Amino acid sequence: METIKVEKLSKMYDGIPAVCDLSLLVKRGEVFGLIGANGAGKSTSIECILGTKTADSGSVSILGMNPIKERKKLFERVGVQFQESNYQDKITVSELCEETQSLYKTFNDYRQLLKQFGISDKGKSLVNELSGGQKQRLFIVLALIPNPEVVVLDELTTGLDSRARRDVWRLIADLRSKGLTILLTSHFMDEVEALCDRIGILKNGKMIFCGTVQEAIAASPYEKLEDAYLWYTDEEVNDDESI
Amino acid sequence: MMRAFKKMLKIELKLSLRGMDMVIFAICFPVVMVILLGIIYGSKPAYSGASYTFLEQSFGAISTIAICAGGVMGLPLLVSDYRYRKILKRFKVTPTSPALIIAVHLVIYAIYSVVSLILICLVATLFFGCNLGGSLIGFLGSYILVMLSMFSIGMMVGGIAPNMKIASIVASILYFPMLIFSGATLPYEVMPNALQKAVDVLPLTQGIKLLKATSLGLPVNDVLSAIIIMGVIAIICSSISIKFFRWE
Repeated sequence: METIKVEKLSKMYDGIPAVCDLSLLVKRGEVFGLIGANGAGKSTSIECILGTKTADSGSVSILGMNPIKERKKLFERVGVQFQESNYQDKITVSELCEETQSLYKTFNDYRQLLKQFGISDKGKSLVNELSGGQKQRLFIVLALIPNPEVVVLDELTTGLDSRARRDVWRLIADLRSKGLTILLTSHFMDEVEALCDRIGILKNGKMIFCGTVQEAIAASPYEKLEDAYLWYTDEEVNDDESI
Repeated sequence: MMRAFKKMLKIELKLSLRGMDMVIFAICFPVVMVILLGIIYGSKPAYSGASYTFLEQSFGAISTIAICAGGVMGLPLLVSDYRYRKILKRFKVTPTSPALIIAVHLVIYAIYSVVSLILICLVATLFFGCNLGGSLIGFLGSYILVMLSMFSIGMMVGGIAPNMKIASIVASILYFPMLIFSGATLPYEVMPNALQKAVDVLPLTQGIKLLKATSLGLPVNDVLSAIIIMGVIAIICSSISIKFFRWE
């Protein structure tokens, strides 16, 4: 069963295509990673999928619903973490969690989630004063407050140190083992290799590869995902190969 | 929805109090104005032979300071700040809507205005013997009308300003002249005639005229034109902000 289904999604900014003919399927319980360089269209794709940006053409369905027309119903069951941290100045961790919790009909107890994510002692701290890793864990907590079936995480670990990234990975792996469907974006190859069942490689708004990590490597002349990824996204190498 | 509204009202009000700006400009500032005018003018009549004191005459104008601080200064900055921080966008991926958090803040600014009104009323009557013998209903009606027109100006500025910097410049351009020239701080009565005519175009001047007349129980000249000017501004500005509001 497809939890997320995107068909021929396109979006232009001032005549320049940001997302071009994007199609993808994410099955229930699957972790799908969109990867690509900065500016490859990852965030725009995510926003068009979620309906915070209107695509020029194409269709999206999440849990069988249209994210724009059935927004209120859909987002009871979908948790989202955007790339930029978006919270009020001078708000504390527990205030932000309580405010988020109040928006949903059914929700997980945020105290439990904070505990599970190792930041239960930070309830009274200002969100501003958390470390990068703690903030990122908090944002995953916020995405999990509605007790979602689908979680969308944009640039999950950008700006985190190795230790904090590994911590976040472990938490994502836990969510995956609980059967959540996860759509994430990243530009770290080790990350998608460790977390994702399938990946899509974006370049200039086009999906140039979609499949498992093993398939991505097998279809390239290389043995590591990083090399394969560079091979997929680097035109010059491609051109050289074809000559 | 109601549960979300109440919870957010509580948290956002806390954040607003933590910020202190509104406490200073909407609560302390008008109270200090009443105290200063009370000390300086005491129970002097507004002019020789007037049946009311200078402070009683200024009451209506001072009561609008909090409305201006919230509507014309606070609201544009808040809306553009929440847009810049993508808080409005975050609300789009929840079962509620970003309009909810804006509505919460409109209520918060209304609360500041009402608290300020009650405080200056208490200070003026208890400490300086003000006797406001006008029509309570007329005064409150005018007060609500002023609030509607000022908040709609603020929503329009916040809603269409592309960034915080522009919102803050436009808010200052509107806020300070209105505060100084409409009679909210500098009494309209002491202005030269030509200046009085010029500031008559400011919607707040019209509002203060109504508030002054209703608080003192004086007959209102041009009551209809004052109501029309403010009503039209409220309708135009809120229509523009609804139609052209930038959520991100």
